[in-house]
Amino acid sequence: MLKYLAKRMILLFATLVVAIYLTIIIANAGGLIDDILKAQLRYEIASNLARSPGWSQLTEEEQRRIIDERFQSAIEAKGLDRPFLERTFKYLIDALTLSLGRALFITSASGSKAVGDIILERLPQTVLLFTTGTILYSIIGLLLGLYMAKRPGGFFDRIFSVFAVVTQVIPPWFFGILFIMVFAYYLGLVPFGGMVSVPPPRDPLNYVLDVAYHMALPLFTWIFSLFGAWAYIARNLIVQIAEEDFVNTAKAKGLPENIVMRRHVLRPSLPPIVTVISLSLIASWQGAIITETVFNWPGLGTLFYQAINSLDAPVVIGLTVIYAYLLVATVLVLDLVYSILDPRIRAGRI
Amino acid sequence: MSASRGLQDVADAVLRSKTGLVGLSILVAMVILSILALAYVPFDVAREWNNPSFWQRNPRLALPSWINIFLGGRLPETITLSNDSFRKYSYYLETVGLKYCILEADLSYSYGDFPSELRLLLYIKGEEALTTVRWIQPNGVDLTVWKGSFKRGSNTIYISRQIDVREFIRDSLKKLNLTIPSTVNPEVILFVDNTMVHSELTPVNGRYRIKIEAVSSDPYTDVEAEFIVYGRVYGLAGTDDKRRDLFVGLVWGAPIALAFGLIAAIATSLLQTLIGSLSAWYGGFIDEAIQRVTDVYMIIPFLPILITISVIYRIDIWTLLLVVVGLSLFGGATKTARSMTFQIMAEQYIEAAISYGASRRRILLLYILPRLMPYTMANIVLSVPGYVFLEAALSVLGLGDPMMPTWGKIISDAYSGGAVVHGLWWWILLPSALIILTAISFAFLGLALDKVVNPRLRER
Repeated sequence: MLKYLAKRMILLFATLVVAIYLTIIIANAGGLIDDILKAQLRYEIASNLARSPGWSQLTEEEQRRIIDERFQSAIEAKGLDRPFLERTFKYLIDALTLSLGRALFITSASGSKAVGDIILERLPQTVLLFTTGTILYSIIGLLLGLYMAKRPGGFFDRIFSVFAVVTQVIPPWFFGILFIMVFAYYLGLVPFGGMVSVPPPRDPLNYVLDVAYHMALPLFTWIFSLFGAWAYIARNLIVQIAEEDFVNTAKAKGLPENIVMRRHVLRPSLPPIVTVISLSLIASWQGAIITETVFNWPGLGTLFYQAINSLDAPVVIGLTVIYAYLLVATVLVLDLVYSILDPRIRAGRI
Repeated sequence: MSASRGLQDVADAVLRSKTGLVGLSILVAMVILSILALAYVPFDVAREWNNPSFWQRNPRLALPSWINIFLGGRLPETITLSNDSFRKYSYYLETVGLKYCILEADLSYSYGDFPSELRLLLYIKGEEALTTVRWIQPNGVDLTVWKGSFKRGSNTIYISRQIDVREFIRDSLKKLNLTIPSTVNPEVILFVDNTMVHSELTPVNGRYRIKIEAVSSDPYTDVEAEFIVYGRVYGLAGTDDKRRDLFVGLVWGAPIALAFGLIAAIATSLLQTLIGSLSAWYGGFIDEAIQRVTDVYMIIPFLPILITISVIYRIDIWTLLLVVVGLSLFGGATKTARSMTFQIMAEQYIEAAISYGASRRRILLLYILPRLMPYTMANIVLSVPGYVFLEAALSVLGLGDPMMPTWGKIISDAYSGGAVVHGLWWWILLPSALIILTAISFAFLGLALDKVVNPRLRER
């Protein structure tokens, strides 16, 4: 059991290292961003110097020499003078030790350039919307799935299966655009986007109400587009297990329906359900790039998009690293939980 | 079970269930639409879509024409009076040395709403000509719309937009002792009964006349004219803010969406299945390597990386397709295919094949992979909508193909053009409806196929 967990841990960590390293290379576009940065730096130095008095009296050669000198010291100060590949390993170690460094362009609202601060500032907004949404749709979906599984093939089951399959293929942001049109434009029930009114209300109670008012539509969209699919997954799991021989045996023994359900059907379907819920909870932490963009929600998804758009590699890497760590930690925790839920693993037979 | 048997199962499942049939018929309709696209659109859409002059004869932000069915034909269509519909008189007065050209055309107007815009194009041959444009309403009120000299070549009077046009109209109203509205647009004044004071403006239906008089000192002067009364409805799908016929974009988007979705789905599903079964069948080091790479792939965030690549390289849609396939070589289906292959490997006919000396590759390609086909088919069908929406998502972020009119591009144009906040429903709902229809058709097919892939889900 311990050996099994240790082996999993080493493997997962190796996977994590490789994934983060690849992300570093890709987020820096294989060194391309360095070239952009260097060109920018050189341009800034040259234009700063050009404004200084007496600059035009210098010969062209002298001008170039001074620019080169300043440029050299600037890239040394930023560490850009080392070869790209060498630096990627430094980045990797930094990333793994969670020293996320400083952003290139993005600043947090409080004025900090530390990637950690920037991320922490956006995190609550994302958690507020998406984690709440995920918890709610998991509960609604699970209950609905249970209800559907009671009479598989029945009217209710069929209607919701179709609903589930349809909402499953349509992404939340797409519903978002349509819902904004219906609920914000035609019905005028909710605002078009954002998280608080401008200017935000002063007293705390009104502030909370204002956020709730802005959150209503994105939250509804998130739940609406995801609870069906989740209900369908839960329903299929339960229906499959309900057809197993041991369930028939339990019924044949004359056990009451709800005991059969609880002991023989729900219990074995727990591990996959727990997996899906915990993975989607972790994923909800990331926010949703496009949904947040559509609703103009100031969360991590929007930050991710801003970072990519301004080629702010440290922020992109920072977000990915934290997500990768969380994912790996979740997988490990799930392994542990499985070993508690699944007696076969507990006994060391798998 | 052979491959053809597996495919037959798939076909049976689709044809026997209602959802499968619905999905299939929507899909067939989409394919027909795609074929029609190539027939209906006789020009190179990818080139003309972003060329403003190509669309200048269309109204801006016009609703689809069929809306008139619900409104009783109230909204005007675009009326174009081409050069041929003008009656021409021209004579040269030698005594004063002046050439007179008079062009006249009638326009019958019978709508409940005003046109959206008016534009007069004049092409002057010969020397500079002093031109007067007059507008005669059904009740005989004669208004001067514009007066001035035009140089040789093509000239355009933007009647609805030019300030001087308003001045001319106001002056001629004053001369006729009629009420002068303060700031009403020319396309409105020219179509109302100016002899009365209105509480609510409605257009007068009837025969209007536009009269162009050009005087020039050059005896060879000639004038050609084209008058466009832009309507408020256009075509089957309306127009966008750049006057583009949305129907062309929508029809053209169908083959692109289908091709993108299908190619991406087929390529990724087949490759993932193949790699998964390779992993299980060859085992050992290969298995271990493929499994580890799959783990790495599953941690790397797919969408952000795709966005990063699009931002840096500004790729077109087919390069994007390649990148998508490259980023999805390993994934969920790899793991599933691997475990399914393990199950198949335990079956006796594989043992038999090994015992009579079939090569390993033969067993994999002919005995194992065909068994995975129904699963792969279902996987393909279910993943198509995801890729169609992926293209749309990148477009909404402004990272789509910059030239090609895809559904996603139209939705993104609509979104950034304020269609949502101004209620320009046709601009956003029609492309959305097409995307949703496509997605639903594949979802329904997938629902039917689910029963092939998971036989236990078959209803008892």
